[in-house]
Amino acid sequence: MSSIFSLTMLAESIRIAVPYACAAIGGVWAERAGVIQIGLEGILLTGAFTAVSVTHATHSPTLGLVAAIGAGIALSLGHGQLTERARVHAVISGIALNLLALAATRMGLRALYDSASNSPGIEAYRFGPTGATGGAMLLRVLADPVFFCALAAVAATPFVLRNTRFGLRVRAAGENPVATASVGISVTRVRLSALAVSGAICALGGAHLAYDQQRFESGMSAGRGFIALAAVVVSGWRAGRAALACLAFGVLEALQITLQDEVRKTAVGDLIQTLPYVATLLVLALAPRRAGAPEGLGKHAAE
Amino acid sequence: MNDKRVRALLPIVLAIAGGILLFNLIAFAFGEAPASALRVAFEGTWGTPYGFGQVLFKATPLLFTGLAFEVALRAGLFNIGAEGQLALASLVGALVAANLPASLPMPIALPIVLAVAAAVGALVAFVPAILRARRGVHEIITAIMVNRIVDAILPWTFSTVLGSTSLRTADIAPGAALPRLDRVVPSFAGSAASFAFPLAVVIVFAAMSLLDRTRPGREIRWVGLRPEACRAEGIDVERRMLLAMLLSGALAALAVSSTALGYKGYYELGLGAGAGWSGIAVAMLGRGKAIGIVLAAIFLGTLEQAGLAVNARVPKEAMDVLEATLIVLVAVASRVASKRTGVVQAADPEPEPPRDNPAPTPASEEARS
Amino acid sequence: MRGPVMKIEDIAVRYGDCWSIRSATITLEPGVIHAILGENGAGKSTLLKAAVGFAPRVAGTVRIEGGAGAIGMVHQHFMLVSAFTALENLVLGNEPTGSFGRLDLAKARREAEALMEKTGLRVNLDARTSELAVGERQRLEILRVLYRGARAILLDEPTAVLSPLEAEELYTTLGVLAEGGATIAVVTHRMDEVIRFAGHVTIMRRGRTVLSRPIAAEERSDPKRLEDVLTRAIMGGEPPPETSPPALAQDAKVALSIEDLVLVDAGGKRVLDGLSLTVKKGEIVGIAGIEGNGQRELVRAAAGLEPGVAGSIVLDGARLPAVRSTEDLRKRRRAIAVVHEDRHADGLMLDASVGDNLVLGELGEIDGPGAEAALITRRIERFGVYPPEPARRAGELSGGNQQKVVVGRALDRIEASPERALVVLGQPTRGVDVGAASTIHGAIVKAAEKGLAVLVVSADLGELRRLSHRILVIHRGRIVAELPPTTSDDVIGRAMLGMEDA
Repeated sequence: MSSIFSLTMLAESIRIAVPYACAAIGGVWAERAGVIQIGLEGILLTGAFTAVSVTHATHSPTLGLVAAIGAGIALSLGHGQLTERARVHAVISGIALNLLALAATRMGLRALYDSASNSPGIEAYRFGPTGATGGAMLLRVLADPVFFCALAAVAATPFVLRNTRFGLRVRAAGENPVATASVGISVTRVRLSALAVSGAICALGGAHLAYDQQRFESGMSAGRGFIALAAVVVSGWRAGRAALACLAFGVLEALQITLQDEVRKTAVGDLIQTLPYVATLLVLALAPRRAGAPEGLGKHAAE
Repeated sequence: MNDKRVRALLPIVLAIAGGILLFNLIAFAFGEAPASALRVAFEGTWGTPYGFGQVLFKATPLLFTGLAFEVALRAGLFNIGAEGQLALASLVGALVAANLPASLPMPIALPIVLAVAAAVGALVAFVPAILRARRGVHEIITAIMVNRIVDAILPWTFSTVLGSTSLRTADIAPGAALPRLDRVVPSFAGSAASFAFPLAVVIVFAAMSLLDRTRPGREIRWVGLRPEACRAEGIDVERRMLLAMLLSGALAALAVSSTALGYKGYYELGLGAGAGWSGIAVAMLGRGKAIGIVLAAIFLGTLEQAGLAVNARVPKEAMDVLEATLIVLVAVASRVASKRTGVVQAADPEPEPPRDNPAPTPASEEARS
Repeated sequence: MRGPVMKIEDIAVRYGDCWSIRSATITLEPGVIHAILGENGAGKSTLLKAAVGFAPRVAGTVRIEGGAGAIGMVHQHFMLVSAFTALENLVLGNEPTGSFGRLDLAKARREAEALMEKTGLRVNLDARTSELAVGERQRLEILRVLYRGARAILLDEPTAVLSPLEAEELYTTLGVLAEGGATIAVVTHRMDEVIRFAGHVTIMRRGRTVLSRPIAAEERSDPKRLEDVLTRAIMGGEPPPETSPPALAQDAKVALSIEDLVLVDAGGKRVLDGLSLTVKKGEIVGIAGIEGNGQRELVRAAAGLEPGVAGSIVLDGARLPAVRSTEDLRKRRRAIAVVHEDRHADGLMLDASVGDNLVLGELGEIDGPGAEAALITRRIERFGVYPPEPARRAGELSGGNQQKVVVGRALDRIEASPERALVVLGQPTRGVDVGAASTIHGAIVKAAEKGLAVLVVSADLGELRRLSHRILVIHRGRIVAELPPTTSDDVIGRAMLGMEDA
């Protein structure tokens, strides 16, 4: 049981938490600007697929990362075009985005690698010491450039939202789009910009997920986008708290993986896998009612 | 009236045309001459009685899940938990069906199994429903969590509770099985279309008619349109939301009739998976009408079957891409269509003072238009 | 510093198929307060919105010296982000920034302080906007317009939410700004404000400008005459709608008695603070007050929608039990009918049919589709809902007809109820055209004649005067004065401020 409080455990928790945190920060950007975004899952998946396929083709994880971010921005902007310009309901658009990402990545697997389940392996970033000690694992996790980008995004988001002109306008568009438009700001443009940021950060999480596995697997986002969304809600739409909530998920999942082998033999067995979801449900059930939700979430400046 | 009908149908026509165009593009990208891929797709579906039977078979679960999404949408709720509701209901339903005495006649056995499945589906839907009604937690997030939990419960049940290694239940009692349609239409021979299809069509029409005519049905719709006004006028908003969500879960669960009961004769892990998601597309294409849901389900069933027919040349996943795109296309097209024709204003001599804060369009209407 | 000249020529504005302005021509010059006067729905607010490009103009021209940036508008519903601080709202859209787009709030604060010094408009810059008083929010809006460098300010019904004293202060400030050379236009429906403060008046009727002329100083010495002239232009020769309350029996019994109602909101504020009142059978009692003094909560408490309320509501001698379930609410509805002030939120389903709206909440009480259709037809006919088509979408009706649906449903239902006792109406004719208003007033009077006790909450003193037997003034969640309907605006106004001598 000593394995629970170890550097290995810490390294595992952080590694697992990164995609969640990226998706959650992406969610904060979209929803603080007033756009309901349940398509994070699809962006994670697309980011992962793009990162792997471009890395596979060019042997450059950096190019893969850039491409993933580009794909994330494109999908997020597509969502924005539908909700802000065509005024499609954001939930419908988000569902379609998720379904599209799942189907398109599977079609991509068939087209590029003639496989229904996964891509061939890729060489992702390899920094930090080798070895299986907890310290080495932790250093490897921390030295990863994708992790670094994610960390920067997590740290910068609250600052940008609070202290810059762009952040002020994003918050204004999310809180009261009508008032924002009345002072001559284009709510649509602000929201699309925020969505671009959202898509970029979220796709970063997808790239991390794929590089971590060193390949793409069909449906590998496995509900992380939705858990991240839950983290956004629980945190009251605040970036720092959402990231912390995601770290908590990371710990929970790392715990589950560590315990799994021992538990599997007991009556609980596979049920241990439900731990993160049950925890999310409990937190959502016990958290105060929608505290902190942007008032203009899902509303538009004009009919 | 004619104009209204055109406005309702135009989005569908435009969306389907866009879908066919996209299919051709995908086929072209995979090195197929578009026309030949289309021809293969047609021959594999509507071209032969067998293909058509398969279309009906594929459409059957979508009738249930599409109706399920529609019922919840009327109350302004998005039930995207149909996957989990159907999966757990299928397992429990099949287990019950497998343990019924073999001598039990169909008029008794079948209703028992369907009722059990519906109850389980409603139970699974109860979690997001109660959290939404009582705690205001958005049903989308909770429904996904519940889906994930069900995903883990199923293999656990097989391995730990049932102690089986095959991830399937025993064969169901003969009385619980729905006969194949080829018993009355011999040319369907070989296809998996069963009496679950006519059953589903009847249920869609009956349910939609009840929703339009009865007090609970109308109040569900009103609650979706403006909950505050309903609350002020003494309608129990929470109870109506709960009812809509539980109904939705129960209806989604009935899709087991076409999978375990009408096709396999047992339940295995993954049977019927994906129907919950496609149901969303069916409801969007169905435009809130019974006939719309039936046609949309047959159309998406055609897509699924066509995907299998062309799989050798174009991956069948292309059809899933099409389906997701169709949801978007129909939503955009109907939005454009309603904008183009505009709102029909009453000829009123007094100009209305413009509203500074236009009341937000309720989810149940906005999602559709 | 001189403000721009604005010329609006022959513009027309349409919402959907509904003409809000048919033809309006107006020239705004700097130096005086320019009042735009007219009935509800005459197109006044739309005129301002068209000037700042906020309304769908289909014809005509708007010419502004110095371009659109030279003018700013203060909307009737304030355009402020309530989660922001006052300072954040002030700079929104015009933010001073340092490097990398960083906000320079220190610079903004210096500029704002200077502006407040110069104009005398004071606002607590660090307060959350949702915590500012109404008058403060309005000052913030005006400051924002000036902060953006605009030299023309258009104000839409600025005094609707102010006490008479605050209104006077506002006009003084606007007068100073105008003398300094700014261009000021104010939309209002209060004649006394125009006569006292405006240097130029434009009158709109049914989407047209029908009169636009300066007001000479000597005209103010004979306000009665000026008022006559303006009234005739507003009404266009039509007599004002006449309604009067029915005769009240001397020995009428008390039907409703509210005692010591207390309601504390989420922020700990006592929105109802020991409110007590009585209404007799057949009596119409008006509630006057500045918006946000507990009117909305009083109506909701009577309806049973405020579970946290303390105190007692006694109806026909029996104390009403607290509402704990929908069943309790339905029981209360059999004795009390309520029209809420915000019909779009609490009264109407815009996307449902007129018929569905007319029986909302009554499905369990009607036997069969035949009876329902008959009921709907009767209500449509009785209240003159136009067009008289049950299947038409409620959102397609004009505001007046929508309100007829809401009021008609409430009154027709309660009059048929054997347990009927009370009708409570919040702002029954707000934003409603003259014709619909007189239909609604007639129905209210009729309800009183049938022996129902009636409580009318309204911001329109004229309406209260015409309808009520008594006017009660609400201030900070309690009744502070009881006045006869003949009381002058001035006296009612002082009471609305909570002044003791009223």
